[in-house]
Amino acid sequence: MSDLILDHIVVRRGGRAILDDLSLHFPAGRLTAVVGPNGAGKSTMLDVAAGLLAPDAGAVRLGETPLPAIGRKVLARRRAYLPQRAGVEWPVNVERVVALGLTSSLPAFGALPDALLPAVEDALAACDLLALRHRSATALSGGELARAMLARAIVGDPELLIVDEPTAGLDPRHAMDAMRRLRTRADAGRTVILAIHDLDLALNHADGIVAIREGRLLAEGPVLDVVTEDLLCTLYDVRVRILRDADGVAVRFLDDRRPG
Amino acid sequence: MRLAALLAGLVLTALPMPVGSADVPHLPKRPMRVMSMNQCADQLVLALLPPERIASVTWLSRDPDGSLMAREAMRVGINHGLSEEVVRQKPDLVVAGSFTTAATRVLLRRMGYPMIEVDHAESFEDIRRITRQVAQAVGEEAKGEALIARMDRQLADLARNAGPRLRVAAWDGAGFNASEGSLYNAVLEAAGADNVANRPPATSYGRPDVEVLLATAPTLLVKGAGLGRKPGLRDNVERHPLVRRYWDGARTLTIRQATYQCGTPMVGDAAIALRAELRAAAARVKTPLPFASARDL
Amino acid sequence: MNRWLVPVLTLLLTGAALLSILAGTVWLTPGQTWDALLSTAPDLPGLIVREIRLPRIILGTLIGASLGLSGATLQGLLRNPLAEPGLLGVTSGASLGAVVAIYFGFASSFGLATPLFALTGGFVTAGIALLLARSGGTLALILTGVAISSITMALVMLALNLAPNPYAAYEIMTWLMGSLSDRSWDHVMLALPFVLPGLVILLLTARALDALTLGEVQAESLGVPVTRIRLMALAGTALSVGAATSIAGSIGFVGLMAPHLVRPLVGHQPGRVLLPAMLAGALLVTLADVATRTLIFGGAPLNIGVFTSLIGTPFFLWLILHVRRRTA
Repeated sequence: MSDLILDHIVVRRGGRAILDDLSLHFPAGRLTAVVGPNGAGKSTMLDVAAGLLAPDAGAVRLGETPLPAIGRKVLARRRAYLPQRAGVEWPVNVERVVALGLTSSLPAFGALPDALLPAVEDALAACDLLALRHRSATALSGGELARAMLARAIVGDPELLIVDEPTAGLDPRHAMDAMRRLRTRADAGRTVILAIHDLDLALNHADGIVAIREGRLLAEGPVLDVVTEDLLCTLYDVRVRILRDADGVAVRFLDDRRPG
Repeated sequence: MRLAALLAGLVLTALPMPVGSADVPHLPKRPMRVMSMNQCADQLVLALLPPERIASVTWLSRDPDGSLMAREAMRVGINHGLSEEVVRQKPDLVVAGSFTTAATRVLLRRMGYPMIEVDHAESFEDIRRITRQVAQAVGEEAKGEALIARMDRQLADLARNAGPRLRVAAWDGAGFNASEGSLYNAVLEAAGADNVANRPPATSYGRPDVEVLLATAPTLLVKGAGLGRKPGLRDNVERHPLVRRYWDGARTLTIRQATYQCGTPMVGDAAIALRAELRAAAARVKTPLPFASARDL
Repeated sequence: MNRWLVPVLTLLLTGAALLSILAGTVWLTPGQTWDALLSTAPDLPGLIVREIRLPRIILGTLIGASLGLSGATLQGLLRNPLAEPGLLGVTSGASLGAVVAIYFGFASSFGLATPLFALTGGFVTAGIALLLARSGGTLALILTGVAISSITMALVMLALNLAPNPYAAYEIMTWLMGSLSDRSWDHVMLALPFVLPGLVILLLTARALDALTLGEVQAESLGVPVTRIRLMALAGTALSVGAATSIAGSIGFVGLMAPHLVRPLVGHQPGRVLLPAMLAGALLVTLADVATRTLIFGGAPLNIGVFTSLIGTPFFLWLILHVRRRTA
């Protein structure tokens, strides 16, 4: 299994640097959370990491190989990517949506080959979707849809999984559920990267943290070493207190302007 | 068009302006500046009056494909059916057709121009009626009767030497069938031809399709040439390989639009000419159509 | 249902084609038709079957297939159930090309002019739509298509105004209503080299359209070259529908309706809609063609485009309401 390395990445849009000389290392077998304020460049960085956006300068390598050298279809098999608010536009059933994750392995015509059926079964089972497999994807609840999309992403067992805001809009139980499933992927030796706003979830479930502000790297490393009140304060421009107890870590943002 | 006229009429009656029968100008007994705003009325006016009594006819009448009086039309002025031209040319009688825009007719009547309206002729009886109407309006009743008598003599001659009827499929320049009750069909019949596209299995007011042509096997195809030979869609579709194979050449007769377009007493001449053309074309046909029943040529 | 859909549609299409070969001005018996197919004699049934009805059936099938398949492809590509070939300006562009070819004398000087001009028109409008909408995405493509269609139709009117033939406006109105009357093997030979590659290109987008169910970003991440797929869908549409329009005029509504007819039967998966939609389109046009030949109202046969819209629209409305009730 291979690490993902971003090497001096620059992305400019309209003369402004969205990513400014960003070098990052995402080790295999780790769940890395990318945090930062809105507009920090998290999603752009994920697009570059996924090979969907060519940087203006710098290189991305999966293991030893630069992404552009891997080839569209092979890359699609080795890496899965879930954008923010991933959804489904036709009322296709869950089983078929999950099978779409295998698109790059399919022949040009015909039904799903028998050899690929077990992969779909495994992904459905891993995401608790067996009972919903014939349900139309447009009729799912938010939590169910998130599970279906995750199953779609992991059905091909990609070595690199990149997820943008997988917990947005989910209730606490479903959010924790999603984090646990990503954790399982990392524990199985895959490289897992996610952008996330919910710091409590990030601190309690991720192995590593990457903090980005205005397209620059602020801090990178294991969660417990890197995350301090000072770092979060600089990152978000808000006073922060980190509370630790037997149940884990919690972040409290303090509103200076609150009356009283 | 009738609706438009009605609406225009309603608007006018609502205007605070003296409109009504009292203002309809009296038609002059012997108009000296006649202006015709209709292609068919043009030919009647040209046949009834000397050039010096004609203010203008429509520009269409100078086209020999569409007019039997193109040469005469070159000697008088022209108009494009616009009311502004009426004002400029100051006619003492306007001859309008039933196809002249209703709005124009209402406007001219309101401005006080003496005007008669001429129907479109679809039969020889229509031709007699319309010729008398125009002849009376321009004060040339005797000349009108002479023209009608000449046409009737020609038609009677044609009927006397009828000869064998020819089976044809005929349509005009726009691709419309020469249908029952049209002047085109009346001229064809006078010339001695029966249009097979007027009976089942043909169903359409349009040009009969190739299946109908095969089923009815007309001896000749008679095509109205339209105005000149301008490129059009019918070149595309009329060129079905079967039509080319079986009817092209000797079995196709292209005739001037003027032959059937306008109801004037001159169609007598046109019918005589058409009979000669039909007979000559039929004489050139040597072999029967392979799919026709034995009785037909 | 799924497994039987394509065979059933094929069977229905065959039935419609058989009906189409028997029906018309001259009704033939199956025996006469069979004899006519086997002989080469220039007798009435022989000529009617071999030279009129066979090419007509093939053209109807090709045209319907083009409309149905490209409608299904565009709906899948744009993820919009209202997409159809006319939306991207392909139909109006082809009409413009054909009008210019017919009325300015090119068609009479060489036979391929009308389909070639129509194809060029279709390609140019589709290309402009694609170019203008390149940065904007799906909605921009649709809006640009609508704008280009309007401009092109205005240009058609302008061309008719300037046409030297006084009957141009009447003729082209009839032509724009669509007709398969009096088409021959010549037209089949003109259409085939464009329609067949167009259909193949469209069918090749199936897998990508499935992936596009997840949106363009996810499709791209699944290895789908979205830009190339968009090009293929437009090129395939321009080829097949452009050629179809150049032969039969614009037959509306089939491209919109055919995909909707079959979509619920294949679980709404856009790639699986393609083949059944193609067959359904062919079936619709073939049936409409039979209907225009056999149902005569007041002496004038209906044009095929009028028929598809007139009969199709109420059915389509019913379908939409019915489907919504069932899934809501």
